[in-house]
This record gives sequence, C-alpha cells and structure tokens, in this order.
Amino acid sequence: MSLISRLRGMLRREQLDHDLDEELRSHIEMRAADNTAAGMSPQQARYEAQKRFGNTTLLKEDTRGVDIISWLDEAARDFRLALRLLQRSPGFTIVAILTLALGIGANTAIFSVIDSVLLRPLPYHEPDQLVMVWENNSQHPNPHNTVSPPNFVDWQSRNTIFSSMAYIFDGRDNLTGNGDPQEVVVQDVSVNFFSLLGVNLLLGPGFTPENGQAGHDNVVILSYGFWNEHFAADPAIVGKSVVLNGHPQTVVGVAPLKFQWFIKDGSLTSAKPQMWSPFVFPQSWSNHKDMGRFITVVARMKPGATYSQAQTQMTAIASQLEHEYPDSQSHWGVNVVPLRDQISGALRPSLLVLFGAVAFVLLIACANVSSLLLARAASREREMAIRTAIGASRWRIARQLLMESLLLALIGGGLGVALAVWGTNALLAASPRNLLDLAAISLDLRVLTFAVASTLLAGLLFGFLPSYISAHSRISETLKEGGRGSSAANRRAFARNAFVVAQLGLALVLLTGSGLLIRSFVRLIGVDPGFDTGHLLTFKVSLPRAKYGKDPVCLAFFQQLLAKLSTVPGVRSATMESFPPLAGLGAATAVHLLSQPPLALSDLPVTNVQVVGSNYFSTMNIPLRAGRLFNAQELTEEKHVTIINQAFADKYLHGVNPLGQKAAIYMKSLSETELQPSEIIGVVGDVHQMGLDTVPEPTVYWPHPELVMSGMTILVRTANDPRLIAPAARAALQQLDPELPLAGVATMDQLLADSLSRSRFTMLLLGIFAGVALVLAAVGIYGLIAYSVTQRTQELGIRIALGAQRRDVLRLVLAQGTRLTFLGVAIGLFAALALSRLLSTLLFAVSATDPLTFAGVATLLAVVALLACFIPARRATRVDPIVALRYE
Amino acid sequence: MLKAKNDLLQGTLALLVLKTLARGPLHGYGITLHIQMVSKDFLRVEEGSLYPALHRMEQDGLVTAEWGFSENNRRARYYHLTAAGRKQLAEEEKSWERLIQAVAQVLRFA
Repeated sequence: MSLISRLRGMLRREQLDHDLDEELRSHIEMRAADNTAAGMSPQQARYEAQKRFGNTTLLKEDTRGVDIISWLDEAARDFRLALRLLQRSPGFTIVAILTLALGIGANTAIFSVIDSVLLRPLPYHEPDQLVMVWENNSQHPNPHNTVSPPNFVDWQSRNTIFSSMAYIFDGRDNLTGNGDPQEVVVQDVSVNFFSLLGVNLLLGPGFTPENGQAGHDNVVILSYGFWNEHFAADPAIVGKSVVLNGHPQTVVGVAPLKFQWFIKDGSLTSAKPQMWSPFVFPQSWSNHKDMGRFITVVARMKPGATYSQAQTQMTAIASQLEHEYPDSQSHWGVNVVPLRDQISGALRPSLLVLFGAVAFVLLIACANVSSLLLARAASREREMAIRTAIGASRWRIARQLLMESLLLALIGGGLGVALAVWGTNALLAASPRNLLDLAAISLDLRVLTFAVASTLLAGLLFGFLPSYISAHSRISETLKEGGRGSSAANRRAFARNAFVVAQLGLALVLLTGSGLLIRSFVRLIGVDPGFDTGHLLTFKVSLPRAKYGKDPVCLAFFQQLLAKLSTVPGVRSATMESFPPLAGLGAATAVHLLSQPPLALSDLPVTNVQVVGSNYFSTMNIPLRAGRLFNAQELTEEKHVTIINQAFADKYLHGVNPLGQKAAIYMKSLSETELQPSEIIGVVGDVHQMGLDTVPEPTVYWPHPELVMSGMTILVRTANDPRLIAPAARAALQQLDPELPLAGVATMDQLLADSLSRSRFTMLLLGIFAGVALVLAAVGIYGLIAYSVTQRTQELGIRIALGAQRRDVLRLVLAQGTRLTFLGVAIGLFAALALSRLLSTLLFAVSATDPLTFAGVATLLAVVALLACFIPARRATRVDPIVALRYE
Repeated sequence: MLKAKNDLLQGTLALLVLKTLARGPLHGYGITLHIQMVSKDFLRVEEGSLYPALHRMEQDGLVTAEWGFSENNRRARYYHLTAAGRKQLAEEEKSWERLIQAVAQVLRFA
C-alpha cells in the first residue's frame, strides 16, 4: 500500500472504524435474521452469526490491512530494534553520526545565510514593488550609475508606473554637543523616503510633508543603533535637538531595529547611516547641464506593474530627455533594478557556490554512510536471510534497515543543527564587515525546517540502496553460501565501489573550486597596489561648512594640519587626498583635451579626479614617470595645473607627449572649466583606486587649491606601528579645533585587508569544505580497501602460503584502490571542467579551466587516496597464512 | 469450504466476489449468500476472509462502496464493480480458465 493511502487511512481512521463496525454489525444482523427465519431461537441465531466471524477485533485489524495503528506499532518496534543495534556497534555509529552531522550542519549554516540574504522578504512594506532606478551610459557602461537631480525631477513628473519615487545621498557630518565631537553618517533623503518604504518608526511622528519645504528641513530621524549607543535609548528623545555641523536639528523619530538602508553602489561614505535628514533640492539644481550625477533613487511601482514595464517606460522617458538635453543626456539610459537583486546581487554568486559546495559535502557524507551500511549489511546477510526464511516480507526487512538509516540521520541531524548554530556564529565572526547583516541572521523555523528536510532526505538517500539490496537478496543462496559470494554481496561490492568513485569525483570538484579560488587569491594579493601600503595611518577630517565655508579658510586649515602632523614624533610625512584608495570610492567626470576635437559633454572621455595635498606622491611612494610634481606655489594657490596617471596617458593620449597639454576637467562650474583648463605637468604611476581586482582607471590629480574640498582623508607615513600615532594625531587636530572628530581611523594595511575580505572569505569557506570532502573521500576509500582486505584474508593467506611475496600482495591490494582512484579522478575532472565555469565571476586573473590547478588537485587527491589505500594494503602483507587458513 | 490461506485460493475468492458483483451492487452478506447459493452450498465464504478481501479490493480501486438500504430496509454497505474491477474480472476469468485447462490436461495425461 502506498504511503499516501496509508496517510489518508490515518486521517480517515475514525470514520473507517465506524464504517467497518457498522458494516459488520449489519452483516451479523442480517445473518441472525435469516437464522431466526430458518427456525433458530433469537439468541442462538445471533450467537451463530457472531461465531462465524470469530474474533471481530482481529478481523477488523485484518480488514484494515496494513493500517496506520499497526504500522506505527511496527515502526516503533523497528525503531527500538534499530536503537539497540546501533548501540551494539558504537564505532560504526559514531563515525556515521559525525559524518552526517558535519554534512547537515554545514548545509544548515550556509542555508541560514542564504535564507536571510537571498530568500527572506526585505523588511519593507510590499518589498517586491521596490526598485532602484539608476542611470547608465552606453559609452561608459556602469549599470548602477547615480542620478542627476534634474533627471530625478523629470522622471518623477513624467512616469506613470511608480506610485512614488525618493532620492538618497549620504555624507559625513560632525555631531557636537553630545560628549566628544564625532563624525556621523547622515543620509539626506527626500521627505517621502520613509513613507515610500512603508516603515513604521519606533518613536516619533517622522518627517511631515512640510519638512520638504526649504527652511523647514532641520529635522532628523535616528537609527536604532545610534539612538541606543549615543542617547542611551532615551525614550523622550523626540523633540530634543542634536547639533550637526553647527546647526541644531530636531529629532522627529527613531527607526526600528530592523530598518536599514545601505546600497553600496552610489554611497559616498560606504557606511551604514546613523541618521536621516530631509533634503530639498535648491533652485540652482534644476539645470541639467550644470548638475552632476550623485543621487541614488528608489521607487515603488504601482500594484500590478512589472519590472519590465517599469524598465520600458523609464527607457522611453530617458530617450525623451536625451532628445531635449543632448548636451548632458546623450547616451544616458535608465536601468531599473529590483531592490532584492540590488541588495543580494554582489553576494549571490559566492553564496550559491558555497551552497553547491556544502551540498556536495553532504552527498559525500551520504555516500560514506551508505558505504558503511553496505559493509554492515553484508555481515548481517545471514540474519536477514533467516528472518526472510521465517516469513518476514521484503518490505519488512527494507523497512527495518531504513529505520536504522533514519535513526542515524536524525541523531546526525540533531548534532548537525547544534553544529550549525556554532557554525553560523563562526561564519558571521569570520565574514567581512558590511558583508552580512549580523542582526538579520538567526536559526529560525525556516532554517530548522530545512535542516529536518535535509536530514530526512539524507537518511533516505543513504539508506535506500543498502535496504534495497538486502531486501532483494535470495535467501536460499545466502544460506547456502554462508553469506559470501552471493549475488547480494556482489551487488554490494559494486555499490561500494561506485560510492567510492563518486566520492572521489565529488571531492575533486570541490578541490578544484577551492584550488581555483586560492590561485585567484594569490594572484590578487600579488597585485601591486601602485603605492606603499605599509606604515600608513589614514583618517578622515570633515570641516563643517558653517565655520570653514570660505575656501581660503578651509585650505589654510588643512595646510596647518599637515604641517602640525609632520612634526609629531614618529611621523615621516603627512599628506591628504579626497578619496582613499582601495575603498571603492571616487569621483569621476568628463575631460576634454584641448588638442583633440571638441565633443558634446556626454561624449567626452571620463576620468577620475583626485584632490591631493602637499607631499602626496612622495608620502604614498607613487613614482613620477614624466614631467614634475606640484611645487609649493601650486599647492597654495590655484595655478591650473594637473598631474595625470599612466592609464590616462595610455588611454586618451595614445603616445602623444602629455606634458604641456591643456585639459578641461568638468568638475567645477562649466564656465570656470572652459575658461581655465588645467595644464598637464606630470605623469605618475597607476594606483588601484577601486580595489586590487579592477584595472587602474584614467585619473587626474589636482592640488587642493584647484578644487577646495572640506572633507579629506589624511595619510600619515610613520616610522613604526602607525596605530600608535593615532592619539597624537587626534591631539594635533584638536589643538587646531577642539570641535573636530578624528573619524575612520585605520591603517592602510587594514583597508587593503578589508578590500580583499570577500575573496578571502569565499576562498576560506570553500577551502574548508574541500578539506572536509578530501578527508571524507579518503576515509571512504580507506574503509573500502580495509574491508576488502578483511574479506580476502583467507585468499591472501593462501597466496602467501604458495609463495607470493609481500610486494605481490601489496600490488594486488593497491591495484583495486588505484583503479577506483583513477576512475574517480577522471570522472571528477570532467565534472569539474563542466562546473568550474560557475566560479568564473569569482575568479581574478585565473581561467576557470586553469590546467595547473586541475593537475595539482588531481595529483593531491590521487596521492591522498592511494595513501589511504596503502594502510590496509600494508596490513594485508602481514597476513599470517596459518592464522588465515585456520580462520574458516 | 473455501479458505484464503494461500495465493491461489485468495485469488479465487477475489474472482468469485468480482463475478458476483458483476451482476449488480451487493452487500457483504449478500455476496456470501450468493456464492453459497450458486455453488449449491459447495463453496462457503468465510466472513473472516471476505471483509479483508473486499477492503483490499476497495483500496485497489476494483470496487467502490456506498451505504444503502437492504430489501428488509436494513442499513448495509453496498459494493459496486468499477471499470478497473471489470477489467480485473475479465483477466482473472481468463487465467482461471487457463488453470482449469492446465489441471485438466495434467489429470488426463498423468
């Protein structure tokens, strides 16, 4: 009977019982009535009718057949028997359970991360309606290019597909009046930001529409974490004020714990926000030609609208704008990205690869346990044959064995969940900052369901084949041959060989993946960043505009600061730049070389712009390739000079001597840029500004007076450990202005490590999984060979007695292992060739079919597997023929 | 007397029940009476075998059952033959005839 109808039987059991009772009663009554009619007394008639039924209870049980009660009863008996059997062979049980716990635990841990990052709904109202809207230039493709404010205004007025649109751009502001001055990350947002996302604030009324009018925007909403840490979770915070950059702002709300808004693309700070403040576009931002692209846009689609409809309509609007503002808009399109894809996009490939890897580990674990069960089943063949002979059905025997498997799986799964709890924490501890959202990951019902499902699946998977073979063995054969050489034994041997081959194959795939990532990582850390990262302290200083609004004041302050810092003991030199390298940050703009024909603004080549302080190139150790560096005068007043990097010269000047060329760099106002182009005075080496894995981009360097910025990253080259200089640096800063915080203190080596953390994390995890796979596969082949040596003890004894040398015996045993190993490696190589393509997005400067890696891991696996065979093979050579022959 | 103690006879019981039901819906007691009557008291179906067999056939989809009222106005469970049951009956009749022939052959030549 199928399980389904049995379950249906369980649900209907009461009804069924009732029906059956009534049916039998009606039968008895009819018979009794006939009996009475035939002349019996009523009592006799009834008694006779009943007697013909015999035991009605027994009949009912028979009638229900394998109904649920008896089924459960037998299952319970099987369960107890299984428990006793497992207790009796603790070695087997422990190995099997640990193997499974490892497999299930790793799967559950990775699943819990995948669930929270890829599967669980985002903590916003109707999150599937939310999309990011980016610009994208077909000439310089960047699918997530920030948006210009006038475009946002046009999009908002022309679209019919979104119910609302909001913008965000972040910055660092100085918070004073609450203990030490400190820098906070503030997201300036449109006033409808919170209502668009559908967030219910923990405290306070939030932004009102009138906060969206100029002059009424001095309000802030605090993040939960910031409120908790810096205001001790003050429940009466709403209505109080905080001082940002010298301006008081009223707190109108606190966001809930789970609310977070951090989109790395387009973020100027690369940091999670600590507060939000409404921002109103000033009148001057409405000119398309004058405005840069720097805001991030999120929109909510109307109910029922699809992503492709949104994309189609926005593309149409973009081409209207392209038509109306050819100067600034040509080649600019729009890219609509579902919020979910935006948030998980970068993590998805790594997570899916890791999930695939742990699934492989679980499969290997299952193959191992299955193989162990097969070996055990062989030794229990007589037991099974006798049970069959005295009447147990095949199903009954298969069920008994399956019950043992499920019991193993359940214990292993339980242990696995414990392992997963520990593993998830370890995963979070090892994961790079900002990569995983710590609060969001927990072991909940969904994850437990996954663990239970994978446990049961594993149990059935590894239990099926051994049960099947045992249930289909021929008793007569088994009893006759004493359990050896029977067809079941042959099938078992074949299955175990197949399992070992499969394990080796799977392990090879994992090893290949891990090998490729390791090689890619080695390539990555071998990249020269273009400057000296050692002994370099970095921190950020942002001057509040209220106090340092005038350019000369700002300029003078930073000059004083650098001068003061370079006199601190232990400091070799100090400099500054607008965007620190390796952090994935930068500003880019159009550039026009006057020696080349003029083009529309949006057709011009693009360059990164870095504003630097004195001694920048010498402090950073960036080599000068041609021309000269900035002189003292150019570092104090605007002389319209610039230094370009090698990539700029190679890409845009094509061998023409760059020195003396004039370049209009569109970072200032249009008229200023066109009237006073910068003269190229030098060429320097390339720096990996966006990270080691990206090609250096064309960059122009301006001395600070060319474009006075109020927020700069300070770089201090020290003689010793740079962290020791931080207190002195803070003192130097606060001597100049006690209200200024020293923010984002880090050494350049730390920043370098952070920029590599994602690659390192994936590599490390896959490496661990591959290691586990290697060990399990080695255990698998070891177990097989050891078992076959025990089985062949007698044969080996005879061979030795007949004069076989140790060498011959060794060769005989190793031959079996070698065959399996080579088969497994060959299959694994094919599978790895097919699968390693999936890794290609994670690889840097290594081909997914890198022959060196493939050869290396194949050799490693073969050597380990043969070593694992060698141990039992050596034991085989020590077989004492006398003992072996007496054995039978 | 018919006892469902091995596969052959159990199959025979099913054949007899199916054949009986081919005449029309009937309750369990009616089935025993019919078989007994038609075989002139030679075959007596035991209740202890009949009901398990009926329920097995019901689960296999050969028959369906429905509550109804007997001629004496007693509530009884009526069994109907399904299309699958009809097919099964045809097959079993065929194999029964083969068996009879085979047995007859053996008897003739033994």
